[in-house]
Amino acid sequence: MISKIIKSITLCTALLLMATVSFAQLRLPAGYYYKQLPNGLQVVVIENSKVPLATIEIAVKNGSFTEDSVYNGLSHLFEHMFFKANKDYPTQAQFLKRTQELGAIWNGTTGNERVNYFFTFDRDSLFQGLKFLNAAIRFPIYRVEDMKKERVVVDGEFQRMESNPFAQLYISVNKKVWGDLFTRKNPIGIHEIINTATPEKMMVIKNKYYFPNNSLLTICGDVKHEEAFAMAEKIFGSWESSGSDPIAKYPIPKFKPIAKTDLFVQESSISRVPYILYEWQGPSYETDSASTIAADVFSTIVGLNASKLQQALVDKGLASSVSVDYSTSRYTGPISIGVVPNPNKVKECYYELNKQINMWSQADYYTDEQLKDAKAILLRNDEYAKEKPSSLPSQLSFNWASTSLNYYTDNTDDYQKVTREDIKRYLDTYVVGKPFVGGIIINPELNKTVNAASFFAAQ
Amino acid sequence: MAQNKAYDFMVDGVKVIVQPSGNNIVEIQTVIKGGVQNYPAEKMGIEAMAMRALTECGTLKHDKNSFKNELDKVSASVYAYTSKDYAVISMSCVKPDFDIVWPLYTEAIDQPKFDTTEFSRIKQDAINDLHANESSPDASIDKMANKVAFAGRKYAEEPQGTPEIINGLTAAETKAYYNSILTKSRMFVVVVGDIDQAQIEAKVKALIAPIKKGAPYTMPESFFRVYNNSFNEESKELATNYVEGVTSGPQLNSPDYYAFQIAMRIFADRHFLDIRTNNGLSYAPQAWFSSGSTSVAKFSVSTTMPNKYIAVFDKLVDSTKHNGFTPAELADMKVTYLTGFYYKNETNAAQASSIAANEVLHNDWRKALTLIDNVKKVTLTDINNAFSKYIGNIVWVYQGDTKKVDPTLYKNGTLHQGDNPVNN
Repeated sequence: MISKIIKSITLCTALLLMATVSFAQLRLPAGYYYKQLPNGLQVVVIENSKVPLATIEIAVKNGSFTEDSVYNGLSHLFEHMFFKANKDYPTQAQFLKRTQELGAIWNGTTGNERVNYFFTFDRDSLFQGLKFLNAAIRFPIYRVEDMKKERVVVDGEFQRMESNPFAQLYISVNKKVWGDLFTRKNPIGIHEIINTATPEKMMVIKNKYYFPNNSLLTICGDVKHEEAFAMAEKIFGSWESSGSDPIAKYPIPKFKPIAKTDLFVQESSISRVPYILYEWQGPSYETDSASTIAADVFSTIVGLNASKLQQALVDKGLASSVSVDYSTSRYTGPISIGVVPNPNKVKECYYELNKQINMWSQADYYTDEQLKDAKAILLRNDEYAKEKPSSLPSQLSFNWASTSLNYYTDNTDDYQKVTREDIKRYLDTYVVGKPFVGGIIINPELNKTVNAASFFAAQ
Repeated sequence: MAQNKAYDFMVDGVKVIVQPSGNNIVEIQTVIKGGVQNYPAEKMGIEAMAMRALTECGTLKHDKNSFKNELDKVSASVYAYTSKDYAVISMSCVKPDFDIVWPLYTEAIDQPKFDTTEFSRIKQDAINDLHANESSPDASIDKMANKVAFAGRKYAEEPQGTPEIINGLTAAETKAYYNSILTKSRMFVVVVGDIDQAQIEAKVKALIAPIKKGAPYTMPESFFRVYNNSFNEESKELATNYVEGVTSGPQLNSPDYYAFQIAMRIFADRHFLDIRTNNGLSYAPQAWFSSGSTSVAKFSVSTTMPNKYIAVFDKLVDSTKHNGFTPAELADMKVTYLTGFYYKNETNAAQASSIAANEVLHNDWRKALTLIDNVKKVTLTDINNAFSKYIGNIVWVYQGDTKKVDPTLYKNGTLHQGDNPVNN
C-alpha cells in the first residue's frame, strides 16, 4: 500500500507522507518501537531483556526477485562481499578480527525477497556494533582478487546444494514452475554468472538497491529504545536516500501461470531414498493477502496427525512423511507438498496422494475440531517463535520485505479469524484442479523395480 | 538476567535439576545414560528404535493416534532420541498446557505399548531415515569418519543402526531392551521452566515410582590417539568433494579440557580465514572439538581442490604449532564465549540440553553455568600447549571424485620436513 502511494509523488513529499501514513496505521507488538529517519531508513527497536545481549540486523529489499538471467546469484554474492572489506576494515582479515573483538555471532542470508545481515554481541557493544554495520553496508570495497576468491566460495555453496538430492529435485521443479522467470525464485543463482561476476556488477546492485529507503534496521535485546534510536540516527542519518523506491523504479515482472500439469522422474545415484515434490503457484501478498493466511491454516490442518492426509499416507505406511507448505511471498509464493514415500510402495503412495489432493475442496475433508486445533497450534507457535530474542529481527524483516509490519503484528490474530470459506477459496483458486509441477527423484537401481515413469506422469 | 538461580534435589535416588526460565515455556528432558555402551554392535539401533517407539507405538492408555492427537491439540512435543553417550526423552509445551502434556509424557516413559503393527511401520520409517541421512553429504562424511577413526571401539557403533539390523528387530525384544535400560541408576531429569519445586517433586516421584533401581552406571572414558596418518576414500557422484579429518582431544577430566576447547575455536577462525578467505578453497571449512566419552578434534571441508586444501591445512597447523596463538585471539575468544553463553540461554531447550550434556559427561550439571569462569582462567600458554599436544596424526576420509585427490599428500603430509614424513 505504502509503496503504491510513493510511486505517484515526488521524493520529499513521499517521505513525509510515508512517515505520516506509517505512524497513523502502523501496529507493532508490545515492546516494539518504530521510527523512520529522514533519509527513509526504517528502524525498529525491540526491547527484550531476557539475556544481556543485543542483536542488530539490516535487511534490504533485494534478492532473487530483482534478478534477471544476467544477474542471477549476484544478490547472494553481494551478501558475501559485505563480509569482505570496507573503508574501516579494508581486508577480510581485519573485518573478521573486528567481529572477534566484538565477540559477535554473525551471518547473512539471501532469499527470494530479502537480504539480511545480522550480528549478536554484548549489549554494551551496541554503538560499536552499529558503527561496524554502517561501514559494511555503506562503504564496501570490491577488489578483483577478493571477488575471484569469493566467487569460488559462493560456487562452493552452490555445489554443496547440488550434492543434496532433495535440493536437486527442488531446483528441477522450480525451473518448470517459474519458467522464464525462474531466476526470480533462485537466490543461489547460475554457475557462470557467479563465476564471471565483477566489481562493476556489485556496484550496479549497490546503486540500485542499497539505500536507506529500501532498508530496515532492527535493534533487539537488552536495550532502551530512545538510546538505540539516537545511536541509529547518529550513525545512519547521513546515509543518502536514493530519492525513489527502487522496487518501483525497477519493476518486478509478473510470473506466467503454469500452463499445464507437468510430472517428471529424475534419477540420481546419490538419492538413497525417493522423494516427491509437487508445487503450485500460490497467492501473493500484494494481490491476495487473505489467502496467504488461509494457506498457513490449511497447511497446519493437513499436518495434524488426525488429518485425512497424514492418516492416509503416514499412518498407513505409504510414506514416512508428508508436509504441505505455503511460502509467504509478496510476488507469488509457492505451495508445495513434499513426500518421502515408502520405497516399497511408491506407486500406491503416489495414487493416494493424488486422491487426497482431489478431495481437498470437499467440505468434510477436515472437521471443525481440526480447524480449531490448527488455530490453537498457530497461537502457541507464536509463543515459541518469539522465545529467542536474537531471532526476532529476522522474523520481522522477513515480513517487512514479503508482507508488511502490520501483517507480522496481526498474523496470529488473523489466523484465528480464518473461516472454512477462506480456506475453500484459497484451495479452489490455487490448488484443486489447477496445473502444477511434480517431480520424483529416485535412485536408478530402485527405479528398475519401481519404474516410476510408468505411473508418475500427467494423465 | 530474567532467570532465577538453578538448583537440584534428589527424588528417590534420581537427580532432578531445575532451571527457572522466566518465560511461558516448559522444557523437560529425562536422560538415560549409556548410549552405545548399552548394546552390542550387532544390535546397534535398538535404543534408537526404543526411543522412537515410546511416542510412535502407543501407550497402555492411548493408542498411537490418540496419543499424538492429544499432543497436536496443544502444539506440544514429546519425543525421544539417542546418541553415542545417552538418550533423551523430552517434552516441550507452553505452561498452561503442562497438566495436559505431563501425563502423556509419563505414559510414554512408564507405559509404552510397543504395538507390533506400529512397530513395523516405524521400522520402515527408521530405514528410510537412514537412507535419507546417507543422501546428505555432510552426514554421510561424518558417519564415514566415525566408522574409520573409531574402528574397534564402541564409539564406532552408529546409534541409529543399519537398515539390516533395524529390519531384524522385533517389538518384543526392543521393549525388553527398553525395560533393561530404564533404571533409576541411569536416570536424571532436567526441568527448564517456571514450575514450583513441590509440584516438580510430586510429579517426578510419580514418574519414577514404577521404575526399578538398577545397578549403578559409570560412563567409561576412552582416550583417542592416532599413530599414523591415514586416508580412506569413497567414490560418489557429487558436485563437490567432502573431506573430514579426525585426531586426538583431551579427556573430559583432563586439565587441558577448556584450554583445548578454546584453542580449537580459535583454530577454527584461522582455518576459516585461511581456507575460505585467503585461498577460496571451501564454502564451509570447519574445525571443532567433539567432546564425549571419547573426545576428538575434527576438521572438515567441501572443496573442488582437495590437494590444495591439505597443503594449506598442513602449513596452517605447522605455523600454529610453531608460532602459537596471539594474546589478542585469546582475549577475543573469551568475549565470544560470553556472547555464546548468553545466546544459548535464549531458549529453554538449549539450556536443558547443555545442562543434560554436562551432567552426563562431567557428572556436574553446574559446569553448564560455570563455563565462563572456567574459560576465564585459561592462559595463552595453556592453549598453545593443548593444541600442540593433541593435534597430531589424522584419520582422513574423503567422498567425491577420487581422481581429484592424491592420497599420498594426506598420508605423508605436504611439508617435506626432513626425516619425519608426518608433520601434522
